[in-house]
Amino acid sequence: MAKKDKSRQKKFDTRIDFTPMVDMNMLLITFFMLCTTMLKSQTLDLVLPTNDDVNKEEETKIKQSDAVTFIIDGNVTKDNLGNEEVKSGTIYFYEGQPDMENFTLDEIKFGDSKDAIRGKLQEKNKELLVQINKFKQEWKNGTINDSVYNEKVKKARADQAADINAKRPIVMIKPTSNASYADVVRLLDEMQINQVSTYQIETLNKQDSILYEKKVGHPLAAAK
Amino acid sequence: MGKVKIKKHSTIIDMTAMSDVTVLLLTFFMLTSTFLQKEPVQVVTPPSVSETKVPDEKLVQILVAPDGKVYLNLTGARDSSVLASDKFRAEVVNRAYGKYCEAHPKAPKLTAVQQQEFSKLTTFGVPFSKLPEWIEMPMEKRDEFLKNEGGIPIAMSIKDGQPNEFQIWLKAIKEVMQSHDLGKDLTGGQGVAIKASQYSPYSLVQVVMDNLQTERLNKFTLMTSLKAEEE
Repeated sequence: MAKKDKSRQKKFDTRIDFTPMVDMNMLLITFFMLCTTMLKSQTLDLVLPTNDDVNKEEETKIKQSDAVTFIIDGNVTKDNLGNEEVKSGTIYFYEGQPDMENFTLDEIKFGDSKDAIRGKLQEKNKELLVQINKFKQEWKNGTINDSVYNEKVKKARADQAADINAKRPIVMIKPTSNASYADVVRLLDEMQINQVSTYQIETLNKQDSILYEKKVGHPLAAAK
Repeated sequence: MGKVKIKKHSTIIDMTAMSDVTVLLLTFFMLTSTFLQKEPVQVVTPPSVSETKVPDEKLVQILVAPDGKVYLNLTGARDSSVLASDKFRAEVVNRAYGKYCEAHPKAPKLTAVQQQEFSKLTTFGVPFSKLPEWIEMPMEKRDEFLKNEGGIPIAMSIKDGQPNEFQIWLKAIKEVMQSHDLGKDLTGGQGVAIKASQYSPYSLVQVVMDNLQTERLNKFTLMTSLKAEEE
């Protein structure tokens, strides 16, 4: 009997119970899963004009017909903590100079139909987009690789920006003090998608405020 | 007898394979993880098609809370011989607080111990007048203070032309980075990132941009989260 017992014990000894090990590992995994960020944040580049005084000669002149102005508005509500919160608002736009006779200011929506923002910008930026689409097709066919493609797009954009006679949109983004940050970023996004090389963020000038007031029926909210 | 024996054996499950799997998973998570940084407020950044990644070094991150409070987060160079994060923060606080003391001679000086303590804090943002007090606080009180009474004063001062506290911080950061030959990294466009909630009114972000413009930091980035491009 004694001998039998011994042999049986030996058999059990070779097995190590891994259950606690697994338990511990699971705990650690849970910890790491909860504490990590898998996705790194992305960033959107933005360049603002300098505050320094610029000579009249150095100012960039643009063609009136190229200018597109977007005015972003929003409805401010309060969230449950009492902070101001804006979901998404109306966007108005006009082309060229503000129409101070009839005070026309149209609403425009995000989206890629012909009357929406993307359609509008694509129409305005047709020349460049046709070129870029050609490169894209070549890239898809495998005739050019990534770096060549990027290089070509970059060159096409630079050429267009340098060519004073090229047909291209110059976009003015004018958020009111009620505009939501998400809308501004979304509009900046459209600039990227539609390869608009010249755009800037501005504040509303007097004419814009008049147009806005005529359209909406109440004056612009004062800047905070 | 035989029946009982068989039953006994079947209750033991071999956990070795399971353990192998968990260890593998664990290794994966340990290697890929970058820890969530503790921030006074959690914000949901707006979606964008932009695919540029946030740099993980030489970065000045400006966090705009939904209530308009502004915090700063400084990261030095990965190569610690160039400018380690804690050295960066220590030098910045030294300069910024020094500037504040010039204008307010009665303010208490920052001790070396306090500077040392400050250099360990990733996110900061209290008015200068409360800075020494905030550093002296225990860890858990610090976070609460940051959330409730923090925020770097940022309102653009029009009347006296004096820089506000946020601009003092920016000036200090700029000087420190330039003294380490990293000025280009700051002004090149990837060195400054603004992080704000997508539900925030744009005016909150605009104030930050105005301040950056005043300090001639005209190129910067906005932090966004990835959105699939609809084509």
